[in-house]
Amino acid sequence: MDPQLLREFMRDGKMPNFAKLAADGSFQELTTSIPPQSPVAWSNLITGMDAGGHGIFDFIHRDPKTLQLYFSTSRVEGPKHSLHLGKWVIPLGGGSAEQLRKGKAFWEILDEHGVPNTIVRIPANFPPIPAKGNTLSGMGTPDLRGTYGTFTFYTDDPTAAPGPVEGGQIVPVQVENSKVNASLIGPDNTFQKEAPPTLEAFTVAVDPLEAVAKFAVQEQEFVLREGEWSNWIRVEFQLIPFFGNVKGMCRFYLKQAHPRFQLYVSPINIDPVEPALPLSTPAKYSRILAEEVGEYHTQGIAEDTKALSGGVLDDREYLEQARTVLAEHRRIFDAEFPKFHRGVFFFYFSSLDLNSHMMWRLMDSKHPGYDASLAAQNGGAIADFYQQIDQVLGEVLPKIDAHTTLLVLSDHGFAPYYRSFNLNTWLLNKGYIKLKNQSGPDSNDPLANVDWGSTRAYGLGLNGLYINLRGRERYGIVTPGAETDALIQEIKSKLLNEKDPQTGLPVITRVDVAREVYRGPYSQSGPDLLVGYNRGYRAGWKTILGAFPPNVLEDNLNPWSGDHCMDFRLVPGVLLSDRKIEAASPALTDIAPTILSEFGITPPKDMMGQPVFRASTTER
Amino acid sequence: MFGSHKVKIEGELLEKAKQCAEVCGYESVDEFVIHMLEKEINKVLPPNEGSTPSREVVKKRLQGLGYIE
Repeated sequence: MDPQLLREFMRDGKMPNFAKLAADGSFQELTTSIPPQSPVAWSNLITGMDAGGHGIFDFIHRDPKTLQLYFSTSRVEGPKHSLHLGKWVIPLGGGSAEQLRKGKAFWEILDEHGVPNTIVRIPANFPPIPAKGNTLSGMGTPDLRGTYGTFTFYTDDPTAAPGPVEGGQIVPVQVENSKVNASLIGPDNTFQKEAPPTLEAFTVAVDPLEAVAKFAVQEQEFVLREGEWSNWIRVEFQLIPFFGNVKGMCRFYLKQAHPRFQLYVSPINIDPVEPALPLSTPAKYSRILAEEVGEYHTQGIAEDTKALSGGVLDDREYLEQARTVLAEHRRIFDAEFPKFHRGVFFFYFSSLDLNSHMMWRLMDSKHPGYDASLAAQNGGAIADFYQQIDQVLGEVLPKIDAHTTLLVLSDHGFAPYYRSFNLNTWLLNKGYIKLKNQSGPDSNDPLANVDWGSTRAYGLGLNGLYINLRGRERYGIVTPGAETDALIQEIKSKLLNEKDPQTGLPVITRVDVAREVYRGPYSQSGPDLLVGYNRGYRAGWKTILGAFPPNVLEDNLNPWSGDHCMDFRLVPGVLLSDRKIEAASPALTDIAPTILSEFGITPPKDMMGQPVFRASTTER
Repeated sequence: MFGSHKVKIEGELLEKAKQCAEVCGYESVDEFVIHMLEKEINKVLPPNEGSTPSREVVKKRLQGLGYIE
């Protein structure tokens, strides 16, 4: 939730419940994390520490010794050891999912003090840490294939290039005698050598006259009209015949029956009834919820933004899927909130975040992706989602009694994403990166062509800039101490002077030096510099994983058109409460100490924040 | 093809390895030691030399986040 949009919608009368809460209680901007990325921000909230304390600096981290990239908050590991028998690889011991966030979560401390709590879909908590209360993992939870969402699109359109696309896969099919035979693509079968993907066949009988088709998936049959979504369909993928299998579920969308067959299948979500990876505490909680409210997305980022970006779903179709996600969340909320009588109840709604990313271009005529005709159809989508969240608050407010404290907050605000800044191209042009082969970087593995013996700095992640530091990096050449300090100041100064020739605006308005802004044992484990982009700018799509697009600056024409991975001062979150917030400038790191203090628990010393209901004693 | 090699572990290190193997649920101290070596090798060697997934595989996993292409 963005404070500027919230003020606008309250002023327009679109959010009466938020307006009432702001008037009767408090509404302030909430200082977000450095950098303002969700895994970092939510880890700040969860632990009351900054990235130096919890060790989460970006969505993407790298191992300095291998430059291997990984999702920052969790690691899913295969079995510990295996036995090879013919084409089969028999694991000795099971695989595991590892939570990488350091520090204690506020609900762990509540548990220690006997305060009951329910924590639903909080980001950066996959796999869920051991807890006494009910917790369900949220953002960061993978799909059954171990990715953060891979859809499949089946079509007989010869112009659709088969193979992998961003966040999905295009599968060519043939309609023969009005029938399509295809397979759902499941997790890689690590029980077999080369780990091929598991496949489960399904058939579609397409009515030759009507725009309708009948599907048969394992034991299930269902009929879809063109433009219709299925319910969740459970699928079992067999890994070892008669022995090992995993269960998932997906939704089918018949985009077109004729003249071209077009079928979208959602990422295969982990089945909450029999989860292949841990989703909740206690383990049975995900199943109990599914039995109570029906199946729900377990994948952390449930809105299929990549299907919209790739043109597989259009705005209307994407929004239909996104509204289903919110409806599921409301069903879970409606089932769980009435059970809350004492302790702490936390619930996370993802809709404002993901849909602001995708729909910003339809409400901002300055955006390069703005289209007046599309805006006329769905320009009000973001406002609609805000209003739905207002309705949720409307259900909550009457139930808040004098003994209950209500906090409504977001981890960051939002801004347009007009232009991309390709940090690695900039570093290459300025001579900080050298390539081995001057003909250009390898597009498949751009870092493989970097001459590390002559490279002094590189960018990875959405805001991270790393010095190629001797002793830390595998091929580090920059000596720690005076040489590093001078290089940091030189790069920082040049970045802050970088202007967009198209607008004359500074591209970067703030650069933070990690060791100056972070506190805690992991302060120097992440990037050395945090690049804070101006409103309207963000790290380019390909520079995030180390690539070198030709231009330093370029328009962002992707439907992903709003963002927040910028200068943290430009994208604060919101904090509303039914009580008076005394802190002059509350921050995410204050939330955990605030919750603990409500129960008379003294926050641990490593929590850097302070309760927001007391006047601040230190300046930020 | 690669043969085998014996490493002698004794004294306090062996005792600690046994304790770790038991605490972490390994079948034997051998399994524990092999797994630790595999993990450390994957950290030190570049992707092509170790058994870590390729950058392309990692990229595909991460693309669903929405933030990258």
